[in-house]
Amino acid sequence: MIKEQQATENPTVRRGWPLAVRLFASAGILLYLLAIALPPLAGPPPASELANVILQPFRPLVGAMSLSHGYRFFAPNPGPGHSIRWTMVTAGGYDLKGIIPDTETDWPRLLYHRRFMIPEKIAALVPPPLAPAEIRREATRDWQPFAEDIATHLLTKHNGQEVTLELVEHYLPDTFELKEGRGGDDLITPLGSYAWRKKASQ
Amino acid sequence: MKPEYGENFSGRESLNWFASWWTAWTAFWFTPSNPFLLSVLRIFVGSLLAWSNFVWLLDQEGFFGLSGWQSAGNVWRLNDQPWHWSWYFPAQTLLATKSLTAVSLLASISLSVGLLTRPAACIALAGYVSAVNRAPLNTFGFDDVLGIMLVPLIIGTAGARLSVDSIFWKKQSAPNTETTIALRLIQVHLCILYFFSGCGKLLGASWWEGTALWGAVANIQYRTIDLTFLAWHPLLINALTLGTLFWEVSYSALIWPRLTRPLVLAMAVFVHLGIGLTMGMMEFGIAMLIANMAFLPLDLNTLQTHTD
Repeated sequence: MIKEQQATENPTVRRGWPLAVRLFASAGILLYLLAIALPPLAGPPPASELANVILQPFRPLVGAMSLSHGYRFFAPNPGPGHSIRWTMVTAGGYDLKGIIPDTETDWPRLLYHRRFMIPEKIAALVPPPLAPAEIRREATRDWQPFAEDIATHLLTKHNGQEVTLELVEHYLPDTFELKEGRGGDDLITPLGSYAWRKKASQ
Repeated sequence: MKPEYGENFSGRESLNWFASWWTAWTAFWFTPSNPFLLSVLRIFVGSLLAWSNFVWLLDQEGFFGLSGWQSAGNVWRLNDQPWHWSWYFPAQTLLATKSLTAVSLLASISLSVGLLTRPAACIALAGYVSAVNRAPLNTFGFDDVLGIMLVPLIIGTAGARLSVDSIFWKKQSAPNTETTIALRLIQVHLCILYFFSGCGKLLGASWWEGTALWGAVANIQYRTIDLTFLAWHPLLINALTLGTLFWEVSYSALIWPRLTRPLVLAMAVFVHLGIGLTMGMMEFGIAMLIANMAFLPLDLNTLQTHTD
């Protein structure tokens, strides 16, 4: 009773919420906690089917608030970095070449990182050149739409006629190789050549 | 018939157990908090989000244009359509996408200075969600962390202090429950983030072997400060790798007790400033540190305080 009076009389502290409001808020909090905890449990692989089943009713909320993060930073192992190297013949017949990301021109650093994510995310879909043909053929369906989009973007931006893309996996030396001044070759995977189409200018 | 002692005991104990849970839950989520800390977080988050929007503006055609790095038609390959909505999907011209990013930028600035804070936070959230849902090929951890803090900034009275709003609405600066919920949501979300980040690393052999840090040091695309001299100090690489792994895995448990919280936060400063300075991801490092600030000051918002 005394406490209630104090809360009412003291203008610097607002009164606590009534039970009904606390119950309602608790339900909302639990819903939100599930929406943030389920996505990293459900993916990326390996993930259980159970987590994916429970996630299903939360998909609208997770998507609408962009909560579908896996939080697997530098996991399971920090791997080699990737770039996309491109060469182009412009509509005027000139040769152009470039790299994504470009440390020279992609500035500020946040812009560099946003572009760096392009080869990093595509690399996750592209098997190495020595992988069995069947695996490489099947994987093409996953990465080729992205390569086409990148090609379209470059052709539109530079008024190009044809562009050739290559995924470069930069060799990651171990501590022994670095100490001995040895290194390895970067791994190059062709991503195809793409000609300018009407779609590019739409 | 008189009930057995065990029966009576278990029934009452169960009831007490549930009552204790409810008391602890209520104390944790609904004890009013001073909005000062949330207001400080608002300033930082708004500023970072404004910077992020400015960078989105630098390559509008690439990020949100019709012939962008990823066409709108292919976005479903990286996220869950139709739920991942974006106001950039219907935008058909560069002027339209630029205008939408400008709205998002202005909302972020408004959030930072605390002008019409809650509406600004809502618009900033819409702009953030729209950007990351339209350009999932260009997002990374920095964006994930910004997202953690925007919903809580809408829920709490983030404009109560250090804001333009506070000049006109002095009443909202009193301790309140909305602010507690907001801070708690950031804290719990951060625990989830570190838990899964740590567990993900446990899948990798290089983290167990203590060599994972070398993978980051030797990667020239991340490098802004050359730390390859560490090749001559393999035990130091082991210590840094295992220290990071243990810290991430244990964060969600050790951040709560008063005794360990300062140590966990000190390690957060070391790790995130380290990532920011040496791997060129300063925005990500700062965003993580801002989120960690939700656990400040050290003697507030702990369960023990409330039960005392």
